[in-house]
This record gives sequence, C-alpha cells and structure tokens, in this order.
Amino acid sequence: MIVELGHYALIMALATALLQSVLPIIGARTRDAGLMGVAPAAAIASFVLILFAFVALTVSYVTSDFSVKNVWENSHSMMPMIYKFSGVWGNHEGSMMLWLLILVFFSALVAFFGGNLPATLKSNVLAVQAWITSAFLTFVLLTSNPFQRLSPAPLEGRDLNPILQDIGLAIHPPMLYLGYVGFSICFSFAVAALIDGRIDAAWARWVRPWTLAAWTALTAGIAMGSYWAYYELGWGGWWFWDPVENASFMPWLAGTALLHSALVMEKREALKIWTILLAIMTFSLSLLGTFLVRSGVLTSVHAFATDPTRGIFILCILVAFIGGAFTLFALRAQTLSPGGLFAPISREGALVLNNLFLTTATATVLVGTLYPLVLEAITGAKISVGPPFFNLTFGPLMIPLLLAVPFGPLLAWKRGDLWAVTQRLYMAAGAALLVSLAVIYFATGAPVMAGLGIGLGVWLIAGSLTDIAMRSGVGKVALPIMWRRFKGLPRSAFGGALAHMGLGVSVIGIVAVTAFATENVVTMKPGETTVGGPFTLQFEGLKPNTGPNYTELQGRFIILRDGQPVSHLTAAKRVFTARQMPTTEAGIYTNGANQLYVALGDELPGGGVVVRVWWKPWVTFIWFGAIFMSLGGIVSLFDRRLRIGAPAKSRAPAVAVGQET
Amino acid sequence: MMFWILAAVMTVAVTISLLVPLMRPRKKDIDAREFDVEVYSDQLREIERDINIGSLSGQEAEYARAEVGRRLIKASKAEADHAAASTDLTRFGRLAVIIFLPFMALAGYLAVGQPGMPAQPLAARVEPVPDSNSNIQALVAQAERHLASNPQDGKGWDVLAPIYLGLNRMHDSETAYRNAIRLLGSTAARQAGLGQSLFSQSGGIVTAEVQEAFQKAQDLQPDNPLSAYFLALGLAQEGKNEQARADFVKLAENSPPDAAWMPLVREHIQRLGTVAGMGTDQAQGQTAVVIPDSAAPGSDAPGPDAPGPSAEDVAAASQMSNEERLDMIAGMVAGLDAKLRENPDDSAGWLRLIRSHMVLGQRDKAGDALSRALDHFGADNADRQVLLAMASQLGLEPKELKQ
Repeated sequence: MIVELGHYALIMALATALLQSVLPIIGARTRDAGLMGVAPAAAIASFVLILFAFVALTVSYVTSDFSVKNVWENSHSMMPMIYKFSGVWGNHEGSMMLWLLILVFFSALVAFFGGNLPATLKSNVLAVQAWITSAFLTFVLLTSNPFQRLSPAPLEGRDLNPILQDIGLAIHPPMLYLGYVGFSICFSFAVAALIDGRIDAAWARWVRPWTLAAWTALTAGIAMGSYWAYYELGWGGWWFWDPVENASFMPWLAGTALLHSALVMEKREALKIWTILLAIMTFSLSLLGTFLVRSGVLTSVHAFATDPTRGIFILCILVAFIGGAFTLFALRAQTLSPGGLFAPISREGALVLNNLFLTTATATVLVGTLYPLVLEAITGAKISVGPPFFNLTFGPLMIPLLLAVPFGPLLAWKRGDLWAVTQRLYMAAGAALLVSLAVIYFATGAPVMAGLGIGLGVWLIAGSLTDIAMRSGVGKVALPIMWRRFKGLPRSAFGGALAHMGLGVSVIGIVAVTAFATENVVTMKPGETTVGGPFTLQFEGLKPNTGPNYTELQGRFIILRDGQPVSHLTAAKRVFTARQMPTTEAGIYTNGANQLYVALGDELPGGGVVVRVWWKPWVTFIWFGAIFMSLGGIVSLFDRRLRIGAPAKSRAPAVAVGQET
Repeated sequence: MMFWILAAVMTVAVTISLLVPLMRPRKKDIDAREFDVEVYSDQLREIERDINIGSLSGQEAEYARAEVGRRLIKASKAEADHAAASTDLTRFGRLAVIIFLPFMALAGYLAVGQPGMPAQPLAARVEPVPDSNSNIQALVAQAERHLASNPQDGKGWDVLAPIYLGLNRMHDSETAYRNAIRLLGSTAARQAGLGQSLFSQSGGIVTAEVQEAFQKAQDLQPDNPLSAYFLALGLAQEGKNEQARADFVKLAENSPPDAAWMPLVREHIQRLGTVAGMGTDQAQGQTAVVIPDSAAPGSDAPGPDAPGPSAEDVAAASQMSNEERLDMIAGMVAGLDAKLRENPDDSAGWLRLIRSHMVLGQRDKAGDALSRALDHFGADNADRQVLLAMASQLGLEPKELKQ
C-alpha cells in the first residue's frame, strides 16, 4: 500500500505544483496577498509530498519489493543495505526522483527562509520553480514512472550495476544534484526579476546565498565524482573529459562566473544584464547536462533515435525553459537601467576578465561535448573528442585566468592601481618563481612546463594569503590592530581566499600528477617485486574471496621501502554473480599526498598476473583543493551580510539562509 | 479500502494547507520598499565596519558611502507598494484549489495507478509454507541464495537437483546434479537424474553423455528401472533392435506389472517385436514415431511448439498395417519438408526433419536436408552450430554435408 500511496503523493505533488505555477503569478501581478500566500504553502506541500513518494520508493528498495518494476530492475535481495538505499538513485527513474526531491527541497527552503524577500519577488520565484517542478513531474509520471508495478512479483531482482555498488554512489549524485538543481533557484530569481522588471543591487544580495550554496555543493559533487571514477574504474585517471563529466563541469564554470559577476552587481549595480544572463545560462547548462545524461543520447545518437520518448520530452523541457527565458530576457533587457561605471583597471574590470575567460572556457567545453553528437547525427560518423582537444583549448584559456586571480581581490573597486597591486604581490611572485626553479632543478628531467605549472599553483596560494595579509594591514599597522582587523574581516573575504587557495592546491596536484606520475605494467608471479615510486611492491599471490553478492580474486601485495615492509595493499577483480559482470577494484596506498595505485589485469597460466602499478605523486592535492574550494563556499555562506533580516521587527529573528544547505 | 482512506486524508491535508493563506491572508502586509531599504542600510553598516577596522579609507570609503546612500534614497522614495488583503481573485483561488487539487490528483492516479495492489516485500513472500507452485519457486529462490553464498554445500545441491528436474529447469538440474556428484560422490539416483537432465537437453536423443550417466547409474544399482529403460532406448535409437528389445523385455520382467512405466515399455517391446522381422531400414523407421518426443519415465513432455504426431495419429498408427504406417510417416516427413521450403527459418523444424530421415534410415536425404539447412543459415548463425552439433551426434560426416 505504501507504494501506491507514494504514487498518489507524486501525482498530488503535480497538482500542487500546477497551482503553485499559476496562482502566485496572478497574485504578484494584482498584488493579491492571498494568492501570493499560496506560493510558500504549496512549495512546502510539494516538498512533503515528493519526500513521501521518495520514502515510499526507498522502502520498496529496502524491503526488496520486486512488485515495483524499478526495484526489480535495479536491486537484488542479497545487496548490502547501504546499496539498497543508494540503489534508489542509481538508475534513471530513481535519479529523476532525487532530482525532483532536491528541486522542491530548494523551493521549500526559499519558502521557509525567504522572509527577507519582497512578497512579489518571492511569489514569482516560487512560481517559476513550480514551472520547473511541474515539467519534470510530468516527465517522470509519463515516461519514467518509478512506481510501475509487476504482477506477479518476480522472485529476485536483476541487481544494481556493480560499478554503482560503491559508497561513492551513495554520496556523489546527491551532492552533484544539490549543485545542478540548486542553480534552478538562480534561474527562478532571474526569471522572476525579468517578470517584475526590477533588477538592482538588492536582487544580487538576495540571490547570492543560493548561488553560493549551489556552487559549493556542485564543487564537492564534481570532486567526489572524480575521485570515485579514479578508484572505481581502475584506469588511474581522475578526469576523462567524458561527456558526462563535462555535463557537470559546464554548469560549474558558468556558475563560477555567475558567483563573481553577482559580486559586481551587488557592490556596484553594474553588470546587471550580464548577471541575469549568466543565471539563466547556468541553469540551462544544468538542464542540458540532464538531457545529455538522461536521454541516452551519449551512448549513441542512434540508440536515442530508436527510443526517443524520454529524450524528446527532456528536449522539449529544455527548449521551453531556455527559449522562454531568453525570449523574456530579450524583451526586458532594454528596459533595464545601466549600472555604475568603472575603469578597466578595477575590481570590476578584473571580474569582467574572469567572466570572459570562464564563459569562453564553458563554450569550449560545450563545443567539445556537442560536436561529436551533432556530427554523428548529421553524417553518422562517430568521433570522440578527447583530452587532446581540451588540453589544447581549455588549458591555454586557464593559464592567463589563473595568473590574474590574485590581482582581483587586491584591486580597488571602481578604479584600481595595477602597479600598486603588483608591488603588493611581489612576495607571492617571488615564492612562485622560487618553487618553479626548485622543481626544475631538483626533479631531474622534469619538463620546464611542470615547474612553471607548480609555480602557478604556489602563486595562487601565496596570492590568496597576500590578500588576507593586506586586508589585515600587515606591514602597515601595529600587531594588535592587525589582529583586530583580521578578526573583523568579513567571512566572505576568508571564503574567497580559501577558494582561490584551493584552486592553487588543485593546480599543483594536477600538474604534479601529469608531469611526474609513473606507470608500470608487469607480469608478476608470487614473490616477485616491482617498483612504484620510492616503494617496492612485492606480490604475495592471488586469493579467492566471496563477498555478499560477488566473488573476487584478490591480489595481495606487501609494500616495502628500503627493504622494510611498510604496509599491505589488496587489489581485486570482482565478478558480481547476478549480472556476471566483472569489475576492477584498485588497491590504493596513500603516503602523504602521494598514492600508489595498483590494478589487476588478466590472470596468466602458472599463477602469474598482469599488474598495473601507478605512482601518483601529490595526486590527492587535486581533491583537497576542491575541498578547500567548497569550504570557502561554506565560510562565505556564513557571512554576516547574508543574514539580512526581514523589515518587520515582529517576525522571528532572521536566520542565515545558507545554514540549512 | 485503507488505501483510499489514507489517500483521502492526504488530499484533504494538502487542500487545507493551500487554503489557509487564501482564507486568512496575512493582515499586516509589509511595504515592498522596506525590503530594499533593509538591504541598503545593511550595506551602509558594512561600509562603516570596514572603515572602523581600517580596511576601507579615504576617497574610496566616501565613494562607496555615497553610492549606497543614493540607492537608499532611491529605494525609500519609490512608490509605496502594498498588497491587498483579499480580492475577488482570492475567491477564485479558493475555488481553484478546492476543485482542481482533488480532481486532478484522483483522475491522474486512476489513470496510472493500481490502487488495489499491496506492497510485496520479499520477506513477506518467501516465508510462508510451501503449499503452491509459487511457494516452491520461493523455496527454490531461497535455496539458490543459500547456495550462492555456500557453493560447497553438497546436500543443498542434492535437494535442489530433483526439484529443478520437476520444474523443467534442465540446465540448472544438470549443474545441481554435477555439483552434488562432485561434492557427495556418485549414486545411482544422482547419475540417473543427471542422465535425465542431459536427455531432455539433447532433445530426446540418448547421446554418449546420457548413456554414460545411465551406465554409471546401472553399475551402481543394476536393478534401477530408470537406467535400464534409457539404456534400452539408446540401443533402439542406435538401431540395435534385437538387443534393445531384449533389454526392454528384461525390464518388463523385473518390474511389477502395474508399474507406472510398464505401458511405455510394453509399447516399445511391441514395436521392436514388429520391426524385428522386417528389414533394418524399415525397422528404424518404426521406432521413430515414439522416440523423439517419447514420454519416458520422468522426462519432460514434448514442448508445445514441436508439432509431432498427435495422440490420435499415434493411436491410428498402431491400428495400421506396416505399409500404411510407413506411408503415414513418409507423408508427415514430406509435409515437414514442404513447410521448411516455405519457411526455412524454423531451425527446430530442420532438426526434426534431419532426425526423422535418419531414423527412417534415409541417410542421404538427411544429409541433403542438412546441407539445405546449412545453406540457409549463415556462417555465424547460432542455429548453424546447433545443426552441426546434431549432425556430429547422428554421425553425419562433414563430406556428406557438402553434397
């Protein structure tokens, strides 16, 4: 019964969302308080309803109710409990449910914490959110209904794709969706502002926490996805420029641009039109990503053509929302008053530069992702645009951007003094240069570019520290005053510095692993050794092992350093019994920031086995950097500025909007 | 019923939650301007803080203060923007909620939902006593789960094997019997079971593998009627009619006269007896009617898609003279042949045709049919492999294939 109640709740949510799409807009137009009041009530109601439906589906998974087709297709009674949970969103229907849940979760947050928003803006924002909710609810109910039943119920499920049976799947998609879908709020704010025709600095302030929250979650989600692919796929790579990865990377690039341009809008009321456009673009890219991943168009254009129901539906949603938003934008853009003026050399100018590079980079990734699809659709030729394309186009775009990053926060608003800023950054530049030279000198045979790349990372980190130091008045004022200033700095200053520092950390990791990683493919018999970085790897032998729903062949290794054993490592080849599908479980030994990565290949007669050994120096920096960036986002979210209360003092004390995200 | 009560509760709760703001709109509406004023005042306070700690000073501070000040003045000079508490539209809203919400939810659900269908968690379906076929399936599933994690449990395989046989899951029963034999050792029952699984998979032919299994069973337990029957059947299929008949007679003598397999055995004895006096070519033809789809003890019934002679045909055949019977068989084979010329995709039909020619002793015609079939199925067709495998079982040589 819970299954059918969940199904009913989902349909009820559609009815609620449809009302929420229409009534508040009429209310905002006619200034009718009653109709506007429907918006928050309906937003919270749809959240509760979809949450209920999601829980009902989860219960079916946990109890292995194979009378639900979706459960039968993607679960197995022998699966460990955690994967029964995560299996809920490990498939098309379930992941669309998660998409919806997070979408209405954000609407409910706006309803709940939106006390500081003018009633008309809040109503319009929630109505636009409801349009998106209605569209995707219809999509789920008509083409991807997770509550389809089977009678009689099959006895055993078909099991979850083994690659997805991993803790990474439990966390990665929800994080990613929090980011992806979080940008829907920015979109709704933009469209609501266009409907209202009022776009000013206050708008930027109101939309800021949502952008930050979405960006933070997306950063963490992408980093987690990257680490997951790194250790689960057994190829030792951390980024493949795969279309699915690009689908999440594009909204991130555009979202990063949005985050920066909204700053200008908030402070100077400049770049208004551009910011609105970016807000629309960012969510459009999220929608595009959803289309690419969910329509099956990536597997093959032809597979998409044979069963196009889902793809066409999402494509219609895509066209309606993006087209609609841009039409509205075109109609309204001229009526917006231009904002404050600024000189080219200024904080604003630096942020414009940032935006130019980021949007160009986004366009590059977009072309690289869509070009093969378009080509296949037109000519039928299947090509793959891989790392060479992106390294040639994306890489060069990033270098000037990264070089410019430390200048931005140090430049004054309106009219900056580039020379003064350069003088302040001399320490950072010196540190970067020193490290570059050291790398080139000590790492014999290292390419010069690697030294410069690591220097670039140091430049970013040192530049961020300089920013904080200058704001605290280092070298200008006495120590106690410096401390007082340091404590008084807004959290957003720390957040920004932390995020830029994280960028530097990631850059160092990327450059180091690209330049200094070693790969070693050998055939090993028990007792034999091979070298991985400073370590020696001794093969102990293969041992069969049985897990809850798989059998595996474990390769055991002893890690030696200078002849002394320091640790053990186990790599395995698994076969998941239900689907007879093999997977590779890499064995990873982390030593400081470095990792020794071992993957098993084919077994050879006579007890030998092919072993791939990678030594990846400083590889964890890549993800630590991303964690720093996310932390920067979180710190910024707690900035006092984002805690603007609602005007009426009788209301409950204002809460930081971001605290809940 | 419970479902509809809960669904109704849900509907009413949501409807009320949407009606509340429409029934009692917030009395004190806040002027929209004040929200802007709040933001800009906060920006001013922030600039003051920056000036206080010294991170903003001089002209820059003045500019910033002046700019935000201008925004603040502009915001407070804007027209007052109040919302009306209640209008005609509010009433329209109430109506929309009350009518649209329940109607849409109910109509939508009735279109796609299955209100009567209960949830069926696995735990609730597996536990009950096995009193029906579906529960046997459940028990089998349970046993399979157990064996997946304890593949060395020979007793488990031993219990499961005959159940598979009964459920007609011949490939699974073969695996189960083999595992039981591997883990617990060979017994007559297990070997005979293995033989039956193999016999059914080979489409009713006593192959060398089948024969080996039954031979082992008979060595272990010479009076086992099952192995005696299949070994005799094997002899008959090889054309060793005298020997086969003798073995069937021996089986009949050793069995109680009311044993379940006696009618079949008598039938074989009768046929083999009749053909014994005829030429061997025709004699092989006589056994053909029974063998391919024979309902041997414990073996599976012919599949519904194998249009062999119907029961009436067989009954009629037993009343006919030898000549008439041969005509009837020849007619059936010719019909099959014609059918395959029209529809050559029917690989099972080809198998039947070739086998029929073989048991009728028409080796050349069997070879002819085989090469026609092979011509039809391309080199990488799976059916071709099946055909070739059967050809080698029947002893059709490759050179005959090329005709």
